[in-house]
Amino acid sequence: MNYILEARDLRKEYPNKLALQGLNLQIEPGEVFCLLGQNGAGKSTTINLFLGFIAPTSGAAFVNGMEVAANPLKIKEHLAYIPENVMLYPHLTGLENLALFSSLAGFKYKEAELLDYLHHAGLPAEAVRRRVGTYSKGMRQKVGIAIAVAKHAKVLLLDEPTSGLDPKASNEFSQLLTQLSAEGTAVLMATHDIFRAKEVGTRVGIMREGELVDVRPTAALNAQELEQLYLTYMHN
Amino acid sequence: MHSIAQKEFVSTLRDKRFLVLSVLVLALLLAATLVGRASYQTLQQERQLAQQTVNDQFRHQPARHPHRVAHYGSFAFRPRSGLSLLDSGVDSFTGTSVFLEAHQQNSVNFSQAQQSGSLIRFGEMTVAFVLQMLVPLLIIFLCFGAFTQERETGTLKLLLSQGVSLRQVAWGKIWGYSRAVALVVAPALALAAALLFGTEEFTSGADLVGRLVLFVLSYAVYFFLFIVGAVVVSAVQASSRAALVTLLGLWILGCIILPKATANLGATLYPAVTKAQMDADVHEEAQHGINGHDPQDQRSAALKAGLLKKYGVDSEEKLPVSVGGIVMSESEAYSAKVYQQHFADLNATYERQNRLSDWVGLLNPYQAIRPLSMGLAGSDFAHYVHFQQAAEAYRYALVQRLNALQTSMGYGDKERKLDAHTWQQLPLFAYQAPPLGWALPHLLLPVVALLLWAVGLSWLGLRLISNSRLA
Repeated sequence: MNYILEARDLRKEYPNKLALQGLNLQIEPGEVFCLLGQNGAGKSTTINLFLGFIAPTSGAAFVNGMEVAANPLKIKEHLAYIPENVMLYPHLTGLENLALFSSLAGFKYKEAELLDYLHHAGLPAEAVRRRVGTYSKGMRQKVGIAIAVAKHAKVLLLDEPTSGLDPKASNEFSQLLTQLSAEGTAVLMATHDIFRAKEVGTRVGIMREGELVDVRPTAALNAQELEQLYLTYMHN
Repeated sequence: MHSIAQKEFVSTLRDKRFLVLSVLVLALLLAATLVGRASYQTLQQERQLAQQTVNDQFRHQPARHPHRVAHYGSFAFRPRSGLSLLDSGVDSFTGTSVFLEAHQQNSVNFSQAQQSGSLIRFGEMTVAFVLQMLVPLLIIFLCFGAFTQERETGTLKLLLSQGVSLRQVAWGKIWGYSRAVALVVAPALALAAALLFGTEEFTSGADLVGRLVLFVLSYAVYFFLFIVGAVVVSAVQASSRAALVTLLGLWILGCIILPKATANLGATLYPAVTKAQMDADVHEEAQHGINGHDPQDQRSAALKAGLLKKYGVDSEEKLPVSVGGIVMSESEAYSAKVYQQHFADLNATYERQNRLSDWVGLLNPYQAIRPLSMGLAGSDFAHYVHFQQAAEAYRYALVQRLNALQTSMGYGDKERKLDAHTWQQLPLFAYQAPPLGWALPHLLLPVVALLLWAVGLSWLGLRLISNSRLA
């Protein structure tokens, strides 16, 4: 099977903390895998390892069959990333930020196309030519989504992407993920939002103290059952 | 890389703090350029007028004995180089004119520092001062957050997730900041070029163009070093605050402490003799030569005996030449040799002190750009010595020509005078500053130091950046 994302015994250890212990994970194209867990459970570490931002202590992460550590730049062609708090360049407008990040990813869009991406991400038209320094967190998040979508990546790595979004925008984001997933884009999303995970995820994984303790298909659980399962692990 | 450079450039221009700082620096640069030009014009006109006056006085002497003319003497005024309006170098401290007379080589006197208050010791507000000291500060304030701010705000991760390397980000930032700095500095240098080539009082020419081009290139490398250094420090430091403190510390060390320490060390390792000591030494050594003004001098008597023998006559009256003139000529040759030796020793001491500072340029770019800037501006110690030697060569040739005139007057010359027209045939002092080709070998060490810094810092710095942490 060709996995678009794969972790093999992936382990990350800091001098005084075991951040991730022996993660084994495979994600197929079109799959939306949601990582649930408390702060410090290892969700962001997993995403950072796939991005190559940190080096594993042992084991390996693969993107589209390429080992991340050996191909730190090449693998990023296949990845788009939205952090929990999208920080952009405050002296540039939303439009300029999108143009910058897209050009770094190798895409030279016309202005109309950039405006289209921002519009679909839900950024108000009046804001696109305003400096990002004046944006709310939610507006920055929307530009972050536009940046990720405009990259046309095979994989989206999302670290609490709906943090700061209003319910309407969160719902639109969920629809966008569903649409991208249907087009074959794989998604690995770290989230605290159990209901959003149930809504958009094809599988959920529960992490605790650096360990992936359970993986379930979302179709097999309703939201309450998922919440109960999650709380059970957290209380244990 | 181009996108990142453009982002940095646009962001910098939109940053009000940078705008305020850069407008301030630009204003200082423009003011320093205009003040430098005004000062250049005033001093140059003063010196030209003074040279013209002493030349006229020298040529319009009445009928006199040539040796009186030699003692009447003349002055050589050092013309300022065109680029000294940008960097006055050691000009303010080295003196402007030298009295040219028989028997002694005087030092160049009447420096601006001698005639000014003690505040000039703190340095003048020249274009070079702004470029060497203040623009690096501007660069530090511009670049200290290059990576730390990206890391602190989280933009670095988003940037790198697009598939660019830290090295590419660093080069993009360096290029973007370079454009911003060029925008601040270029108007002042363009104004300087316009003043240099657009007005009549400056003798423009290929040499001046060459010097100005190298001057601009040298500062481009110097600023590049500060930009790369600031970006590297920003990449390896944990926070913007730490990066700023580190960079300011390095600036204080490089631009203030090390140059002063090197100057003190140079003066301690290679102490220069005092003027009083040198005068005493010269006087003592000159005693070993013929004293032209002492008729009882035994060496004069020996010389006279030799002349009588050479011309086959038995008395001075029958000689076709003046013994006094020949004695003066011999005396001048000896004393000039003594003076030259002592001045050469003194200059060698100063050069050793300067050399020490030049070598420290390998450790400190500020001490590389300073001599390079002064050298290209024609206001360094080597150019000063060139003038000093030209003035001495003229003095020696003039005095010996007057001695030859005396010699040709034959016996009893002391009772006679030469016609006033004679002095109009004598050459006047006309100083030709050395060309760029002469100056470059003196500047080899600072050039090498700057280039080594540029290559070494780029190589090592970018390696450090590649290995720096992301979060």
